[in-house]
Amino acid sequence: MDESADPDEVAGPRLSKADFATMGITFFSLGVTLQVLLIDAGTSTTRAFVASAVIFSATSEFAYLAVRDSGGSDWAAIAAGWIVATRFGILAVSLSQKLPQGNIRRAAAAVNAFDPNVAVAVQQSNPAAVEREFWRTTAGMMIGWFLGIGVGTFLGPVVGDTSRIGLDAVFPAALLAIIGNMLRKKDGAIAGAAGGLICLTLLPVVPAGLPIILSVFGVAIALLLVRQPAT
Amino acid sequence: MTTLAIIMLTVAAWGQRLAGAFLVGPLLERRPVLSRAANLIPAAVVMAVIVQLTIANGRTLVLDERLAGLAVAALLVWRKAPFIVVVLAAAATTALLRSAT
Repeated sequence: MDESADPDEVAGPRLSKADFATMGITFFSLGVTLQVLLIDAGTSTTRAFVASAVIFSATSEFAYLAVRDSGGSDWAAIAAGWIVATRFGILAVSLSQKLPQGNIRRAAAAVNAFDPNVAVAVQQSNPAAVEREFWRTTAGMMIGWFLGIGVGTFLGPVVGDTSRIGLDAVFPAALLAIIGNMLRKKDGAIAGAAGGLICLTLLPVVPAGLPIILSVFGVAIALLLVRQPAT
Repeated sequence: MTTLAIIMLTVAAWGQRLAGAFLVGPLLERRPVLSRAANLIPAAVVMAVIVQLTIANGRTLVLDERLAGLAVAALLVWRKAPFIVVVLAAAATTALLRSAT
């Protein structure tokens, strides 16, 4: 992230009504899919709704499901969910530095930090605009998300075979789109490739869940291969 | 999903955001290497989750229609297609190939 904000710079991109709708539709469809897949994996409807309403991290729910699905223990699955949630910690770091002062408003924004709303917010030129655009984007996402998990909870028990309509391909694609920008940078691409390879190699040989946890060492490989000038 | 998992994942998602905003942010500012490492974790680990979801079935490696869906998604992400297009194209590709076989 470039910290050198030019004071004369025009205000960052504001969310148009179309962007707002796209955001809502995107999170709506993710919410529906996640619920249907959770219920398909044997979670009760109430439990699936509560989980997606409070966890605030579809990626963690997915990492958890991926590990459980491959036969991993509850704790291994939880550990995988914890590691992928570091992404949100990092998003909160970049967001909170640009928000207006005040612990409560920073905390409230931090727990709602997701990729799209932080991406829109951090491009604004002053703290007040950062906060305003952050909450506008968040509103679009949240409306879509809660409607989506509501609809998905009802659809879950009636969809039947989720793989027939390709639902199992939705989350890998969504995750790839989320990290797409990181993979465009050299060190991000190496970290991603290394993480994927570590998982692929270890999958048949170590207990389920461990390949995802150990893929974090892909970061070390990227740091060793791509040196940045010391500042 | 167990109750323990729901509680622990909620703590993970909320706790790490709060920790990021109030504890880690100031620390990372003083340690650029840590900051770089932290920024690279999602690329590595999310890619591993993608591998697990796409080319594995339990602990066996399986090549099937999911990989074709991901390939289409990768192409669209690279061409900077809108998120919703990426997701729908991946699902449609996988579903169509399955119905054809």
